[in-house]
Amino acid sequence: MAQNNEDEGSIGTSMHGVTAREQVFSFSVQGEEDGPSSRTVRFDDPTAKFALPVDSEHRATAFKPFSFARPHMRAFHLGWISFFTCFISTFAAAPLVPIIRDNLDLTKSDIGNAGVASVSGAIFSRLAMGAVCDLLGARYGTAFLLMLSAPTVFSMSFVSDAGGYLSVRFMIGFCLATFVSCQYWTSVMFNGKIIGLVNGCAGGWGDMGGGVTQLLMPMVFHVIKLTGATPFMAWRIAFFVPGFLQVIMGILVLTLGQDLPDGNLSTLQKRGEVSKDKFTKVFWYAVLNYRTYVLFLLYGFSMGIEMTINNVISEYFFDRFQLELHTAGMIAASFGMANFFARPLGGYASDISARFFGMRGRLWTLWILQTSGGIFCVWLGRATSLPIAILAMMLFSVGVQAACGAIFGIVPFVSRRSLGIISGLTGAGGNFGSGLTQLIFFSSSRFHTADGLSLMGIMGMIFTLLVAFIHFPQWGSMFFGPTSDEKKSKEEHYYAAEWTEEEKRQGLHEGSLKFAENSRSERGRKAASDRSSPSMPPEGGNPAHV
Amino acid sequence: MAIHQMLFASLLICLLFQISHGATKERLFSDLEKGALEVTAKPSRGGVLDAGIDKLSITWKLSSTATKEAEFTTIKVKLCYAPVSQVDRPWRKTENELFKDKSCPHKIITRPYDKSPQSFEYTLERDIPTGTYFVRAYAVDAKDHEVAFGQSTDEAKSTNLFSVQAISGRHKSLDIASVCFSVFSVLALLVFFVNEKRKAKLEQSK
Repeated sequence: MAQNNEDEGSIGTSMHGVTAREQVFSFSVQGEEDGPSSRTVRFDDPTAKFALPVDSEHRATAFKPFSFARPHMRAFHLGWISFFTCFISTFAAAPLVPIIRDNLDLTKSDIGNAGVASVSGAIFSRLAMGAVCDLLGARYGTAFLLMLSAPTVFSMSFVSDAGGYLSVRFMIGFCLATFVSCQYWTSVMFNGKIIGLVNGCAGGWGDMGGGVTQLLMPMVFHVIKLTGATPFMAWRIAFFVPGFLQVIMGILVLTLGQDLPDGNLSTLQKRGEVSKDKFTKVFWYAVLNYRTYVLFLLYGFSMGIEMTINNVISEYFFDRFQLELHTAGMIAASFGMANFFARPLGGYASDISARFFGMRGRLWTLWILQTSGGIFCVWLGRATSLPIAILAMMLFSVGVQAACGAIFGIVPFVSRRSLGIISGLTGAGGNFGSGLTQLIFFSSSRFHTADGLSLMGIMGMIFTLLVAFIHFPQWGSMFFGPTSDEKKSKEEHYYAAEWTEEEKRQGLHEGSLKFAENSRSERGRKAASDRSSPSMPPEGGNPAHV
Repeated sequence: MAIHQMLFASLLICLLFQISHGATKERLFSDLEKGALEVTAKPSRGGVLDAGIDKLSITWKLSSTATKEAEFTTIKVKLCYAPVSQVDRPWRKTENELFKDKSCPHKIITRPYDKSPQSFEYTLERDIPTGTYFVRAYAVDAKDHEVAFGQSTDEAKSTNLFSVQAISGRHKSLDIASVCFSVFSVLALLVFFVNEKRKAKLEQSK
């Protein structure tokens, strides 16, 4: 059975394989092998002339972070640095708020609302980004975001009141969709076996931008003041720096980057190779799966809280402990920069726990990490002395950022067919959570910021209890084991359920079956030793299965 | 790891600051002698004053009711926020603990104490935010502790207030630069895009 080529390029099935062990679904290079074996991806392709070892689809099978070899490692670096730059721009205002609030005569509500606005735009742009990348390729997707949002960063020089400030922060926030384009790009460049680590690094290092900006902007502001500018002009000039960075990155992405291992999208499309799934179907199965919503909320209280902190923490330290602007920035920066190791650590912890306890281990790991993040957030709000506050903040940052990594250790298993959309929705949930927490706790004078932090931590812990509701029939949940139903407790049943009988007859669910087979590792060590070998016949009556 | 060392160092420094600040933490505003100085602040013109341009004519002298005059070493004159400018702005809050009080952040002038009446012509700095203000003069002793004060308004902070309009911080050159770079960014993207489409078409036609 051939891959369906009749339904032409349906856009939106973005991010095929955001993380983990799925086999390739689209992008099979025609003419290499015939029939069913074209869908088995060989792990090595000795004929390909790339700097890194590649599989038969020319996706890299090794990850070398210090290399810039084209196209794989170059795509990785361009991707995460673009995402990093957008984080810098989105949160660039936060450490300068003490100056901006005086210049524009802002009230606490104005500042809080602008913070909400800065993360809200990305809810929509992240959802749309998958489709954009399918249409234009990852390169142009990234470059469009970078270079079309650069004018919004520059337009800070025109802002003269609260309304203008809010609008500009809202518009800048759209560029956070580079999260999606970055993960999309790495997914087409790296093999499924290592994509977890690659995406964890790309995501974590990109998120660091929220920390770096807290350090960068006060420093730039200070230097500009030294040249003689007044504070109220210096902060506007400081915004040119993230703007420049975006333009430069955009040009680098366009000149140095490549959409796919074999070339650029426009060239490959003309050769007629790209086949895709139907968007409506993919969307439908994502919407029907209740776990999508649970993950949406969970990510809202890990990544969401992280983004909220990026917006409020510098001002908090400045006001509460009477620090200098750059000192407050330095402390705030440590929060975001912990992402460098904390997020990959969370993913790694998830993988290790899965090795012993399967999916249950992953769920418990997530719950533990996110809850401890919440506890330390409460402590941060209660801390009245600076050293304790810093300690609480650091522990809080590790907890909450590792939780982000752990969530994306679970996301790939929720659905095989709708992985792209679910990943995008989870990402959007982060922005939603950030907007919500800023609106409730940091936009009015109802709470002191310190109390807002503690209450946010408590709210986070409450929502983290939702992890207990994630149940997989084949693996169980935090408290319950897998279903005893013989048929439903097979991974194949769960993943094949996303395809109609008609589609199964056409053999379109092949990829899902392969994935199901590989996902048996989520049973954990104990269950794995109970069962027989993983060569069970797949379900769905598909005769030509390899 | 450098960031961890930096963080640890700053932690230590902050700890030291905490210890040294300990003595001044409990000093309260309510302990200060009220009205020890008679302060007046007269704007150079009526209406809303412009930061960076307009001036205040400030005078202060010892009040007849002052009792702690012997301790006065220095006079610190500051610009303070009126209550209306503190609404919904917790970073300008009035606190009784002098260490925490943020209602008078702008320094005008500091002079050694002199028995004779003093005056000063103050040009509003360019980083003064928009708001309503009054002037307060603290009398400080040799240990740099406040002992008394006087202000240009009454105790309820409702009379003799003046308004200031901040500079906008905008500048034509900035606006022009902003537009230029924005246009460049969009144009560069379009140029790349069109170019590549053209190249792809050429390749296809070959």
